[in-house]
Amino acid sequence: MKRFGALILCAMLCIALVPDVYAREEILRVYNWQDYINEGKDDDGAKIAESVIELWEEDYYERTGKRVRVQYDTFETNETMLNTLRTGKTSYDLVCPSDYVIQKMLSATLSGEDDSISIEKYDISTMTNYNRYVSPYISQLFEKNGWTDYAVAYMWGTVGFMYNPEAVKKEDVSTWDFFWNTDYKNRATCKDVSRDAYVIGSLYAHSQELQKAAQNYKSGKITADELQKIVNAAANDTSAENIEEVGRVLTEMKNNIYGFEVDSGKTDIVSGKIDANLAWSGDAVYAMDLAEEEDDKELAFVIPREGSTIWFDGWVMPKGANTALAQDFVDFLCVPEIAAMNMDYIGYTSAIAGDQIFDLVRENYEDGDGKYEYDLSYFFAGTLSEDRYDENNRAIIRTDTIGRQLTTQYPSLDEVARCGIMEDFGDRNQAVLEMWSVVKSNNVSAFSYVMMAVLFIMMIAMMASTIRRKTKKKRRMRRR
Amino acid sequence: MRKNKAFSRKILALPYTVFMILFVVVPLVLIIAYAFTDESGRITFDNFRTFFSGGHNINTLMFSIFIGMANTAVCLLLGYPAAYILAKKGMGFGKATVLLFVMPMWINFVLRTAATRDLLFAMGINGGEHPYFSTMIGMVYNYLPFVILPLYTTMTKMDLSLIEASYDLGANKVETFFLTVLPMTMPGIVSAATMVFMPTMSSYVISDVMGERKISLIGNSIQLYFDQGLWHIGSLVALIMLVIMAFGSFCTETEAENNSRGGLW
Repeated sequence: MKRFGALILCAMLCIALVPDVYAREEILRVYNWQDYINEGKDDDGAKIAESVIELWEEDYYERTGKRVRVQYDTFETNETMLNTLRTGKTSYDLVCPSDYVIQKMLSATLSGEDDSISIEKYDISTMTNYNRYVSPYISQLFEKNGWTDYAVAYMWGTVGFMYNPEAVKKEDVSTWDFFWNTDYKNRATCKDVSRDAYVIGSLYAHSQELQKAAQNYKSGKITADELQKIVNAAANDTSAENIEEVGRVLTEMKNNIYGFEVDSGKTDIVSGKIDANLAWSGDAVYAMDLAEEEDDKELAFVIPREGSTIWFDGWVMPKGANTALAQDFVDFLCVPEIAAMNMDYIGYTSAIAGDQIFDLVRENYEDGDGKYEYDLSYFFAGTLSEDRYDENNRAIIRTDTIGRQLTTQYPSLDEVARCGIMEDFGDRNQAVLEMWSVVKSNNVSAFSYVMMAVLFIMMIAMMASTIRRKTKKKRRMRRR
Repeated sequence: MRKNKAFSRKILALPYTVFMILFVVVPLVLIIAYAFTDESGRITFDNFRTFFSGGHNINTLMFSIFIGMANTAVCLLLGYPAAYILAKKGMGFGKATVLLFVMPMWINFVLRTAATRDLLFAMGINGGEHPYFSTMIGMVYNYLPFVILPLYTTMTKMDLSLIEASYDLGANKVETFFLTVLPMTMPGIVSAATMVFMPTMSSYVISDVMGERKISLIGNSIQLYFDQGLWHIGSLVALIMLVIMAFGSFCTETEAENNSRGGLW
């Protein structure tokens, strides 16, 4: 009995000690997309190296002598993430939403309307790696939109068509009109995402004006900034008339395309069900690699000439976050070596430039003395060591092929010039959503009136028969 | 002694009561509460108005009911003769064949539907061109076992002497079928119809995969609203579906009451 008592005492002591141990250790809570950081695993999910998270924990310990543990959770859609923040059950120090959600969170912060999705300000000047290595293109983009103090870019890319060049002509797929082109009826799929579909419909509806603007830019009549403004206005036009017009063109599109998809596009294009699909550049690179390795098929990617949108995901710190730790973690991700590890693992394009990233791109895509000098100075300028530049101080990759992985991962300056940014639709979101469900629903209104009449008659008949039976039963019972 | 018995009965019922309250009653109350309130928590009928003012929502609802009915009809037409043949044959043969019909149900349903899509494509029927037709095939394929099983069970329990009596009294084959076989298998038909109709109209995975997301059923509407964080109107749609289901099961319940013999398998 004595021994038993000692055991209980021991157990109680342990329980009492546990929270103490945890209290001494600091925790950084990170909420990120699934498969969106180097986890040090191979293709089969077996652990083969240290993850970026573990590397940071060690690095932080070496620098400060303090132990920090990262609690890492993942989400699958921006909306899931927002809902988690809104319920407030778990609080996070660092979250990685997409462009339009960052905008939404930022406007909630500035207006003070919604505290649950408000975000903290970065002290950017203390983030040495970020300041040294972020691509000038990305930092300008952030500066222009006023995000610099609130978000740090992580990965970015474009939206365009991925296609099978053997079945589709490049000039046909170089315009959004492709989705409405009856020569390719039932040969392409679109994303089943209301926002992306809306932007495409809107760009298509504004196509004449956009093509003219693109020409004016080429001939030097308007600047890149002016062109971007025109594309932005067209992509994010949520006036009532435009929503109606987009609804009309998207319904036409629905009748011409094979269907909508969320993740089957990659496999369907490889298996030959379709010849083209709307794709985010990062996914397109992944699909190209896969098609090449497993099916010996060459796919290509193109950004339509009317212009498109640029997407990015960035790190924000929700209100009440441990900003010092969070900033340290984000700055660690901006070390080119670490960014290259992540980029290699995820397959998307990092917002960070610098030697290691440039070397990774070269290693992956450079063909010794390729035909083309692909100029990426706009992205890498000012972040590379002397020996990486050519004699004219340009960052050049030599390549034989345009339109495949390299150009998908890093669009040319001409291409990014005609890409706008998808904005948060704000209070117009519900109107867009209504339009989208009209597009997705089945156009059978006369049919549904007939259906209603039939159902109504059936209902009455059923009720009548039930009542009749019940009364019969009662009568029978009474007789007994 | 008597007291003790009652006590133990109470104890035994406790786990299920707790489960019921937590996972059936509370969610139900929440759905109703959400359906009749707005973002700020005020009681409102706006969700109702939004839902019914959009003609497309009524379209989707009617279309879902139609798909449910069509699927039930096709499944019954295909399943009834099949079950009849199975029940009439010798036991050993019947059981093996029943197994063949049931076996697809043991394969994961998402996988099965994805495979059907590829199979149809290989046969030259693609969902992009024929979204409605492909969806119907997918639905029938998935729900056919649910029709055959209850029908098979009622048919094996069928009193064969009544059929003989019908012949003896001079009825021909058609009359015998409609006057004896059909009434006797009615409980099976009712439970088969319930097991097909209601899941069909609320499912959206099959229509998404087979119809290449060109078809939208009422389940899609709910998903779309919930995805965008529009809980209130989403709950209202869920509630409307619940009412339809409740009405459906009320009708079949009374039907089953009338045919107390046989019933569910």
